[in-house]
Amino acid sequence: MHRTIVDADKQKLNLNLRELFNYRDLFLILAYRDLKVRYAQTFLGFFWAFLQPAATLLIFTVVFGRAIQVDTDGVPYPLFAITGMTAWTYFAFVLNQSGNSVIGAQEMVKKIYFPRLVIPLSKAVVGFVDFAIAFLILGVMMLFYCFSPSGNILYLPLFILLTIISALAVGIWLSALTIRYRDFQHVVPFLVQFGLYATPTAYPAETIINSLPDWAVAIYYLNPMAGVVEGFRWSVLGGAPPSDFAYISFVLIGILFMSGLYYFRKVERVMADIV
Amino acid sequence: MSDIAVRVENLGKCYQIGHAKSGDFRESFDSWINKLRGINNGQTGESKEFWALKDIDFEIKKGEAVGIIGSNGAGKSTLLKILSRITEPTKGRFEINGRVSSLLEVGTGFHPELSGRENIYLNGTILGMKRREIKAKFDEIVAFSGVEKFIDIPVKHYSSGMKVRLAFAVAAHLEPEILIIDEVLAVGDAEFQKKSLGKMEEVTGKGRTVLFVSHNMGAVRDLCSKGVFLSKGTISQQGEMSKVLSDYVNSEAKINKEGGVVVNVSPLDKEGKWLKGTFLKVEVEWARNLFQEGINFDFSMRTVDRVKLFAFSSEKRPDFKDLHKRSKITLLIENIGYVNNELFIDVGFKYVNKDSYEALILNEQLITPSKEKIESFLRRDILVVPGFQYIIE
Repeated sequence: MHRTIVDADKQKLNLNLRELFNYRDLFLILAYRDLKVRYAQTFLGFFWAFLQPAATLLIFTVVFGRAIQVDTDGVPYPLFAITGMTAWTYFAFVLNQSGNSVIGAQEMVKKIYFPRLVIPLSKAVVGFVDFAIAFLILGVMMLFYCFSPSGNILYLPLFILLTIISALAVGIWLSALTIRYRDFQHVVPFLVQFGLYATPTAYPAETIINSLPDWAVAIYYLNPMAGVVEGFRWSVLGGAPPSDFAYISFVLIGILFMSGLYYFRKVERVMADIV
Repeated sequence: MSDIAVRVENLGKCYQIGHAKSGDFRESFDSWINKLRGINNGQTGESKEFWALKDIDFEIKKGEAVGIIGSNGAGKSTLLKILSRITEPTKGRFEINGRVSSLLEVGTGFHPELSGRENIYLNGTILGMKRREIKAKFDEIVAFSGVEKFIDIPVKHYSSGMKVRLAFAVAAHLEPEILIIDEVLAVGDAEFQKKSLGKMEEVTGKGRTVLFVSHNMGAVRDLCSKGVFLSKGTISQQGEMSKVLSDYVNSEAKINKEGGVVVNVSPLDKEGKWLKGTFLKVEVEWARNLFQEGINFDFSMRTVDRVKLFAFSSEKRPDFKDLHKRSKITLLIENIGYVNNELFIDVGFKYVNKDSYEALILNEQLITPSKEKIESFLRRDILVVPGFQYIIE
């Protein structure tokens, strides 16, 4: 027998991940809805999903590859850039989408119960499509430059997972914060723009490590994606392994993720009242 | 195993009005600072407590259908929201034994760009159905909604009626052990409403536990055996539906709506019934000088299904010429065989050349004629004029 007990005096902060799992149908269908709706009534349709990363890659190649001539340790620049972009694009997408996600779903939130975490989680699922497309472009580039990956590729799943977790960690934090303080609606676009420069997507991490004092580098690696993108690139393209600084990012991701889940749960309680 | 489906103990919900809790970063920050500095004056902003619900206690046995009634703002929706777990109580506890579906709105999550088919899946999942459950009932849902032909086109091309029908069709096929429903029957055209009510009766008849909020007193009485009457956030009466309903009617009999018009209805029969051949007294009072010259008085009486039984307008009646100088109209209406368990009256004041009413009391009055079986005069196509008198004071 299914039993629900709610007691105002005995409220525990419980992640209740099993319940979340029971609602997997819901977040899959919400993700499906977002995907289906995303390119509805557009002329180019799904082609947009390719066009955006391709255009960014082109600009990166012209500016950083040709004009500034970033040192990529022998790797063709477009290949170098797309590797970083693959991880970063997913992260940026989830951030953009999840920040406003609960507010966007407020009609639902006010009318029906479900674990609210489903909302930002479904955004992370939607992002998989862009992630896959970026990987496709990456694959094509590798074929084009006849670049064969090193044995490090075995670590790729780990870094994919880290990308997803860090995107979720920040995404969950932002969606909960945005409900409480609408200020974060304005913070998110800024954060994404800022993050692109503060992440070694267009340039190698060594540039930062070699040119800044240690304390500044440590601050740089407080960006969770700094370490992830570095590791991601290392697992695909080989070269120097991630610096010790990268562990700052990795630890931070863990902390952000767990605290994000708890903070979200805390806000969840009053969500329908304040959204 | 207990036979209690829902147990609510000492439940309360308090809202902070004008408090910084929702969204003002600066005020939140100020209160942190104050906390840090050890200032605890408890006056961040103009915080004011408002108890939307207080000391709510009741139990619902398995298979019972309970209607929750009360005027606007009595806390009905808040109660359903708490029981649906959309929001948390501030005080007290509740316990629900069984799988719950709550229907506070039809068509939650509907997306205009998706097809009818996709929206059935989407909405069904949101309401807590599993994918295979929806798949199994899909044809039934489509048939019930009556939009078969358009099932694969985007819902944005549907008429609003079609949308509502589709949404309700999904909701009607939920099969939880406990069903929580807010005013959702007030959608669609009359025919569809009837169909929905039929479906609801089927659901309540199946021994399912139902919690039902509606302003449609007929629906509440037909569907529910027990009732809870909420007033200003507390339970003012609970128990057998008929008793709760009559309490509710009595408390609502005198309403002072916008415009300062008061309507009071009382049967003249000694036993307080409005039997065939007896008169019902309807007193309409308002403050003298409330209206200007040229005001007219309209009155109509109808059944739950909006069949008009009797209507009266003071327009062009010479004895109502100086109505604006008066302050009371008393109508005496004979029961010529109305057996409908409830009749509604509408009272309105309108200037001759204006379209909108200055004061309007709609729907609110509920008259209970005799329940004893007498021959019905109710005919749908003609207006039956009863014995009727009026007094202007």
